[in-house]
Amino acid sequence: MIVDVALFASLSGFHTHEGQGHTRQYDLASGTTIADVISLLGLPDQPRIVFVGGIHAEETSELHAGERLAIFPPVAGG
Amino acid sequence: MRFDKDPDVDRQESMILQAELRDHLAPKSVAILGCGGLGSNCAAMLVRTGVLHLTLVDFDTVEAENLNRQEYFLDQVGLPKVEALAATLWRIDEAVDVRTIDGCIDADGLLSMVVGADVIVEAVDAAETKAMIMQVCTRELPDTPLVAASGLAGYASANQIETIHLADKVWVAGDLVSDVRDGHALVASRVMTTAAHQANAVIRILLGLDIV
Repeated sequence: MIVDVALFASLSGFHTHEGQGHTRQYDLASGTTIADVISLLGLPDQPRIVFVGGIHAEETSELHAGERLAIFPPVAGG
Repeated sequence: MRFDKDPDVDRQESMILQAELRDHLAPKSVAILGCGGLGSNCAAMLVRTGVLHLTLVDFDTVEAENLNRQEYFLDQVGLPKVEALAATLWRIDEAVDVRTIDGCIDADGLLSMVVGADVIVEAVDAAETKAMIMQVCTRELPDTPLVAASGLAGYASANQIETIHLADKVWVAGDLVSDVRDGHALVASRVMTTAAHQANAVIRILLGLDIV
């Protein structure tokens, strides 16, 4: 199944292939979870917020064809 | 209701528009989570623009080293930040209705802090708390706009600071990467630029305009 994955800020370098902007398409096996994608991409263990289709999602959630996964790592300072 | 006006107006008309703007913003309510460099400056800008209902949340007291970038003054050192900021906001506009919460922001208490807000501003320091606020607010209050900030440390070009649309009702101001934990200083010019981005996004949301 094809899923769009958007990696923001310092995570943008963890995409496995080149492309434009934050987002790349990935062909994932049915039943792949968000946590599986995080593991596949080797994202660092740091605070992050995850959205699917613009809505917050738990990392245990399964992805579905055509969805857009976005992962954003906030950094300190306020 | 959208608030679209022809930008090509003369001075007299723009004064009328300013009054209309304030009338539109006055009944709106904004919750500001964190009253440091981001939150204190954002709050002052919102009140100056006409937002008259604010909830201020912070657990900290004003310290002398805050004065290089936060909207506090020497005679407020030692006061709870929410109390000091409320006093400053009343000096800007005595009609402002301020609800203060002098306490820590945690997942259990967060919803009660932001109840009734038309827009929530995330203005805390720690990355973990920023992530928690985004998670809780987008899960429990998916229809309430959230304006967050990330990446404001250091003194790189202020042109790197922008407002991005992160998710359905979530916007983030900052350069997204400059982390205070990397040893960057917190400099008033970039902190206040980011706070201004947040305030501008809030105003545009309240006016029903596109944010970015």
